[in-house]
Amino acid sequence: MAGLEGEMISSALFANGITRFSIHAKGDAPQGIFCANGQCSQCSLLVDGLARKSCVTPLAAGMELATIRGFPPLPPSGRAVEPGAPRRLAVDVLVVGGGPSGMGAAKELAALGLSVAIADDKEKLGGKLLLQTHKFFGSEGDCYAGTRGFDIATRLEAEIRSDSRIKVLSNSPVVGIFKDGRAGIYEDCSAYLLVDFKALVVAAGAREKSVVFPGNDLPGVYGAGAFQTLVNRDLVKAADRVLILGSGNVGLIAAYHALQAGIEVAGIVEIADRITGYRVHADKIVRMGVPLHLSTTVVSVEGEGRVQRATVASVDRDWKPLLESARSYEVDTVLVATGLSPCDELYRQARSFGILAVKAGDADEIAEASSALFGGRIAAFALARTMGIKVEVDESWIAKREILKSKPGDRITRERAEPSPLWKPVFFCDEEIPCNPCTTVCPSGSIVLRERRGNMLDLPYFRGSDCRGCVACVAACPGLSISLVRALDAEWCEVILPYEFEPDFAEGERRLLLDQEGGEVEEAELLKKTFNRKHRTWALRFKVTRANATRVIGLRVQRPEATAALATPLFSCAAEDAIVCRCERVTFGEIVSFIRDNEIRDVNQLKAIRGGMGACGSKTCTPLYAAAFRAAGVDPGSVAQGSLRPLLVEVPLGTIVNEGAGK
Amino acid sequence: VSSHDIVIAGAGSVGLPLSYYCAMKGLKVLVIDREASWGRGQNRAAIGGIRATFSDPAKIRICTESLAIVSRFEAEHGMGIEWRQGGYLFVAYDEERERAFRELLGAQRAAGLDIDWIGPDRVVELTPGISTEGLRGGTFSPGDGYASPLKTSVAFHRLAMDAGVEFRFGEEILGMDLEGPRVARLRTDKGSYSAALYVDAAGARGAEIAAMVGAEIPVHPDCHEAGVTEPVERFMEPMLVDIRSDSESGNYYFYQIGTGQVVFCITPRPQIWGTDTDNTSGFLPLCARRMLELYPRLRHLRVRRTWRGMYPMTPDGQPIVGYAREADNLLLAVGMCGQGFMLGPGLGRILSEVIAAGERDYRGEYRFILDQLAPYRKFEGMELLK
Repeated sequence: MAGLEGEMISSALFANGITRFSIHAKGDAPQGIFCANGQCSQCSLLVDGLARKSCVTPLAAGMELATIRGFPPLPPSGRAVEPGAPRRLAVDVLVVGGGPSGMGAAKELAALGLSVAIADDKEKLGGKLLLQTHKFFGSEGDCYAGTRGFDIATRLEAEIRSDSRIKVLSNSPVVGIFKDGRAGIYEDCSAYLLVDFKALVVAAGAREKSVVFPGNDLPGVYGAGAFQTLVNRDLVKAADRVLILGSGNVGLIAAYHALQAGIEVAGIVEIADRITGYRVHADKIVRMGVPLHLSTTVVSVEGEGRVQRATVASVDRDWKPLLESARSYEVDTVLVATGLSPCDELYRQARSFGILAVKAGDADEIAEASSALFGGRIAAFALARTMGIKVEVDESWIAKREILKSKPGDRITRERAEPSPLWKPVFFCDEEIPCNPCTTVCPSGSIVLRERRGNMLDLPYFRGSDCRGCVACVAACPGLSISLVRALDAEWCEVILPYEFEPDFAEGERRLLLDQEGGEVEEAELLKKTFNRKHRTWALRFKVTRANATRVIGLRVQRPEATAALATPLFSCAAEDAIVCRCERVTFGEIVSFIRDNEIRDVNQLKAIRGGMGACGSKTCTPLYAAAFRAAGVDPGSVAQGSLRPLLVEVPLGTIVNEGAGK
Repeated sequence: VSSHDIVIAGAGSVGLPLSYYCAMKGLKVLVIDREASWGRGQNRAAIGGIRATFSDPAKIRICTESLAIVSRFEAEHGMGIEWRQGGYLFVAYDEERERAFRELLGAQRAAGLDIDWIGPDRVVELTPGISTEGLRGGTFSPGDGYASPLKTSVAFHRLAMDAGVEFRFGEEILGMDLEGPRVARLRTDKGSYSAALYVDAAGARGAEIAAMVGAEIPVHPDCHEAGVTEPVERFMEPMLVDIRSDSESGNYYFYQIGTGQVVFCITPRPQIWGTDTDNTSGFLPLCARRMLELYPRLRHLRVRRTWRGMYPMTPDGQPIVGYAREADNLLLAVGMCGQGFMLGPGLGRILSEVIAAGERDYRGEYRFILDQLAPYRKFEGMELLK
């Protein structure tokens, strides 16, 4: 088997078509990936005889990989252990997490003269920015709007690495905070480093919430973040056809990423009666040919040892599935994008010990990466002040962060634009979101936000007549929702549309154009295609009838067959078999009856049936327990929470003594 | 004021089994604990070993009873507690330790223990991968073993519930009112309870509860940290104890629990007194070093979780069991010195007999236990296999 040296083993295996990794000790269940982010440990394998998380273990030539069946054997080893010297580091501030907020915080703290260490569990800094191939919303000046996430990460990382006051600990998960003001770090995943610090910034991001449905642990059910890791970071075509759970921005973007990678999307399922992400995102996805099923939930995911079929059904007002409405889809992957939960354990642990700590970014509040850039800097200043440093936070940062993390505002009906002989942009964004790159890229400054709220949520409009048809706005708009229109004569117009895929059609060919919500408008001839390098986007110029010129905005990308349900639904639903604790395979049914039978009012007692006892440190199951208590007739608010204890990531005993590292 | 036959302070290692056995005697029992649920004091921190291998008759007797209970638990009650009769192995790497272990064998056998000296080959057979350099052998007691404290306390709670025991969680005991020589009622932040008998089974808070009637008992908690690893295929059976000490630590011990994980614990040196159960950074490097020196094969085993609990210590390392001088109807069952989990089931059953006999000056077969563990003894010496 072949793979790329240094790529993560899980990605290499996916690239070789292997999606089933190990066999769980309980129920002989095959295990696939779930988070692909070092959080959950479901992807463990025997790597040269040792159990390791394949998603964070780089591939090396000659490596022997094997399935773990049940518990792995402990390798024999006669050699005596020679403990090495303890590794120590002392800094003013330890920043946990090298994503946008952590890097922002580290930079500001170092600028204030504090010694800073920034620890991240990945080799490259950037956090989730590294997985984001789409263009950013927000404003160009403040948060690189219109630029793709991984390009932003590269710029930020270069700044951090060139700052001599910042010690970068990459590939180094922080595994615990201790009462004596120290952090334990699994340095470069090969040594154990104890860091003394005066204050802590927890900017560790967020993790995908698991979701409870029968079949939720089948190989092929995994997080949208994992999908982005495989597809965007490691460039692996991880699936042939996916179903996506959740219509938030994460789910919507996952659909977009799938299509970019040549993966079909059978649909997006949303239990609420409305889209929870940005409308422009959703419109764009629908135009590409992905159906959005609102008021719909997943009933069951089935297959022989891997996902082969997913069944969904409409829900009633109480979100109970109506099985008579069930539809089954043939898919090989189900992406979970039902929400994120903050990775704030270290913050809570530190605070419970009375250690000075702040949190920033998603660890603080789930929001767009653009707001995290400011959140990190604001948190840094707040921390510096607590440490007795006289600084004033720039008030405008706070305002910007608030706007960048705001939920969508109102939907506003735009007046219909009329084509004229001069170029003019036509806008298809009608929901207030924090986004303005079109206003900053326009060389003539002809695009402005029309004042309603007086901030970045306001919608852009074309002011006046000075449009040169340069396509900067068309290419920069992250929502692909600006066209340029000019009338050729009384009957025909030229329309320039954005296209982010490789156009597999030539000038002179005809293509079906769609309106904002994906409705078919007319077939039009492609006059010209040009590639905008800065935004890596194609501008396609079509000849469109005048009546339709300001209605068309997109092209279908996906063939309709990809979204068809099976002729008859095919499922055997057993809701109680859904897995809550993935590490230990504890089912919803087991938990509910245990709660009932033993009058459980304390999450800690679920450990007796192994709930939360696995390798992930109860990070994945904890958010799911409330539903189990509710199902058992217990108010989750009356239940004592599970206790926090190190370690967050498992570390070998030999590493803890820095074996072989010399004295 | 509600009325019961017995009010037990503490739903932990001792209180839970005691409540069950008392209820089985037909007594109306109330258990009060300030935690949100049972076993959340120090029982949650127990590592699960159950041995009768001690140096004194009382603890040997109590734990023999515990072993009888837990080894038959699943068959009797249909609830699994991950009991495994893996035995206890105390290893000796020097002459001094060998002599001390051998000298104890006589007394241990006289107290009915199945224990013997084994040579290095047998030690290696029981614990493949153990360092053989300087290994002289050890004492092995195959009747000892281990169970899951979590599962055991859930099971005892369940049995107690089914037997009619009433539990009140999240309730803080504020005081006990004396009327003459007797406790008339026990007050909490939520109510007031009266009973014929009150039992202090409050573990690390035992002295605090006893002080509510003016009794001064020498129970002082010290702190120990423990950890658990990932699971691996079974490679060792016994609980392995190394009682050697070095400049940073005293004895330490570890074993492979029913679920394949290795649980470990160490006695820091100097001892850390107090009630702080927050994790410290020193524990893992220290305990890992000592474990790996003894058992290099563990080097690849990944640590999953660590925690810290208290040993409610007495000056001689033995529990305090008996009636308080200050109140005729207050029974003390405290100072388990970190062995509450293994002492609890046996002590619960034995005390239920003592209580059912109904007299303060009980003269039955367990009298020697009450004598040896009397609250007002001299507290001389130290139990050798603490």
